[in-house]
Amino acid sequence: MTLTKATQATKTGDFGKRKSYIKRYWQLYALLSLPIAYFLIFRYGPMYGVQIAFKDFNLFQGINGSEWIGLEAFREVFAMNDFYITLRNTFMLNFLDLLVSFPAPIILAIMLYEIRNAWFKKISQTLLYIPHFISWVIIGGIVYQLFGTQSGMVNTVLQAMGMDAIPFLTDKNSWLITYLFTGVWQSAGWGTILYLAALTGVNRELFEAADVDGASRMKKIWHITLPSIKPTIITLLILNLGKMVSIGFDRPYIIGNTAVREYSDVLSTFVYRIGLEAGQYTLATVVGLFQAIVGLVFILGSNYISKKVTGDGIL
Amino acid sequence: MTRNTRRGVMKKAMGAALATVMGVALLSGCSGSASNEEAASGSTSTNGERVTLKVEVFDRGNSPSPHTITNNWLTQYVQKEFGDPNNIDVEFVPIQRSEETTKLNVLMASASDVPDIVFVYDSSVFFRYAQQGGLTDVGPLLEENGSNIKSYLGDDTLKFGQLEGTQFAIPGKRAITARYNSYIRQDWLDKLGMKAPTTTDELYETLKAFKEKDPGGVGSKVIPMGMALAPAQYEPLIYSFIKPVQGDLTYSQRYELPLHEGFKESMQFLNKLYNEGLISQDFSLDEEREQLNKDFQNGLTGFMTEDVGQILYADGTLDNLYKNLPDSKVVALDALTNDNADGKHIKSRYGTNGMYIMIPKSSKRSVEAVKYLDWMTSGNNLLTMSTGVEGENYDMVDGIPVIKEDASQEIKDRVYNGGDMAIMANGKVIGDQEMNEKAWIAGFPKNNQELMRESIDVANADTVGPIVFDRPIEAESKYGTALNDKLKIIIVQSAMAKPDQFEAVYEREMNDYMNIGGSALKEELEQALQAQN
Repeated sequence: MTLTKATQATKTGDFGKRKSYIKRYWQLYALLSLPIAYFLIFRYGPMYGVQIAFKDFNLFQGINGSEWIGLEAFREVFAMNDFYITLRNTFMLNFLDLLVSFPAPIILAIMLYEIRNAWFKKISQTLLYIPHFISWVIIGGIVYQLFGTQSGMVNTVLQAMGMDAIPFLTDKNSWLITYLFTGVWQSAGWGTILYLAALTGVNRELFEAADVDGASRMKKIWHITLPSIKPTIITLLILNLGKMVSIGFDRPYIIGNTAVREYSDVLSTFVYRIGLEAGQYTLATVVGLFQAIVGLVFILGSNYISKKVTGDGIL
Repeated sequence: MTRNTRRGVMKKAMGAALATVMGVALLSGCSGSASNEEAASGSTSTNGERVTLKVEVFDRGNSPSPHTITNNWLTQYVQKEFGDPNNIDVEFVPIQRSEETTKLNVLMASASDVPDIVFVYDSSVFFRYAQQGGLTDVGPLLEENGSNIKSYLGDDTLKFGQLEGTQFAIPGKRAITARYNSYIRQDWLDKLGMKAPTTTDELYETLKAFKEKDPGGVGSKVIPMGMALAPAQYEPLIYSFIKPVQGDLTYSQRYELPLHEGFKESMQFLNKLYNEGLISQDFSLDEEREQLNKDFQNGLTGFMTEDVGQILYADGTLDNLYKNLPDSKVVALDALTNDNADGKHIKSRYGTNGMYIMIPKSSKRSVEAVKYLDWMTSGNNLLTMSTGVEGENYDMVDGIPVIKEDASQEIKDRVYNGGDMAIMANGKVIGDQEMNEKAWIAGFPKNNQELMRESIDVANADTVGPIVFDRPIEAESKYGTALNDKLKIIIVQSAMAKPDQFEAVYEREMNDYMNIGGSALKEELEQALQAQN
């Protein structure tokens, strides 16, 4: 509050006032300079390299030494079949992830909330957080050991029970399920934190009143618990929708493999492949830039919708 | 988790890490241009100042204590024998083996971090760097300081490092061109009373018998033919179907295999093997051959193809198998025949060149770099770097260095990465091919030496080699990496399709292959072939 008042003062006030204002709050500005430097160096600085998308980038001439080629690289990318496949996969995996992974923490949070035994609740909460801290590389190793067709533990058990082995990793549809549920396993526990935080603010009297009215447990969840975390759900949903076009690199790269490339190849792995492996930096930058622009459109779009629907946006 | 699995996972971890580094590398790329020009003039260290020469070295993460990849007996040897007399500090820059090209792509963009000597196996990477003007012309430097290199390589091998007449790389020399070979479980054959298969058709029958009769008694886990998504497994199979483009020559790059007549038949055969359960079901996940080796040493596998000698190293796959199943017996054989080439046992051999050793244009130490390579090829240095000290690591018997097996571990560890340090040679270059083979065999454990001899003989029969054009194929540097990737997809998708869908899947993948550069490549290769004749 004091800050905004002070800002107004500088706008209207004279030089002396401004000087004393800075003198007074210099520590705050000093603190602020670190995050600003971070954004300048790591977020805005690299944007200098975006011009590679419009140049025939030569590794040895550097960015300035390379020729301008206009939109030629964009034409080349948009003519690539792989580009559309990876774009489709990015949307598909993100959308399915939203369907499967988004409700999981909500359900889990409500279940945790309903637990009355504090000791049990604490332990299960901690256990649920652990997968979040395991790197995808490790998870990838575990998944391969568990779900291999011939040597995986799960299939060994299935076969011992006289069932056919399921190609969890090599058939594209089975792989999709493996991919989605690995995601749930990894993130559901951690995702409960925000919902549980929102739930701590719920007035206990509401439940007592419902008890007096003879409401069942399900009724209480439906009419009290869920409505009280509704704003959190909507905010997170909007954030997730905005991220539809961006996808992490580790998960599809590590869980994916050549046999399911048709589904597992997404924009981020595509950029890695053509940029770092094939050394075609120009094309990789084009895809990256495209991804950023579509991402921006999605964020602004979902923010606009949210403002219309809920009267409140995140920007 | 096994050690091998962890290595596979590590590779992916490196990939993830590299992706993050990429942004930074692109940034530093802009600083590259300034220093390029001063370096281009080729500077020297004649003013008597001590200079630092940076040399790339592969890191396989296997340094035995107390050695490290940058400080071990060999680096000290280089410093003492080459560095100190020439007033040069030799510094080794480790690069993870499995990430060599990606890491190099990042390093090359930076003028200050890139070593003065770098190398790569992939010719299309070499041509790309050369075409983009990123490499020093070593021709004049070789005239000045490279007399040993020139006599060691000879004009024929040197040619591999040229682009339109300019010497942009110094190719290493390959000691032995033998490449692939097959192994079969003799004890399984004996149990079934079968002869060793001598043709592809007989092999198919043998594999079926392995599957149905399960001579090893391993139940549903039986793998008649070990398969992995690695060249040593799919290439021998493909080569036994394709027709060489000319005499005993095929196109040189792996991703050019689909352009040969007969490729489709090889995929069809692979499809049959997969659908009848005759090959490893998860081969598409096994690019590092971990599972393949695990299955083999656990006695689940009946037949497989491998790089010559790969399973014969001390405490390697074969030794482990014999330890696990003392009654088992493995023999080398030449089973795959090619109906498109008069029923011969067509298989690929290596070219006579090793990797491309390059000096980046930004290097200020190009003179010293050539001096170093020249020193390496002079006197006894190559032998010492790959094998160690005479009388301590090996004894000379009839001109062949025979490894002293009773040497202490400490002495053996001296040259633990000798193959990676002696970059001018791929394998032990002692003399001609025959001598090199003997020297190679002498490096294996006594018990496996006979099988090693047989393996090499099999691998040398009916080989086809890479065709070499006198100009680079533009399409290779442009589409090579994408097509290499596509080749793997073609193999996996063709193999795993349901038999009645094979045609459709194969057509679709091949169309894709052609669209992403295959047809341009085909056209250029055919033109080059015509121009050659």
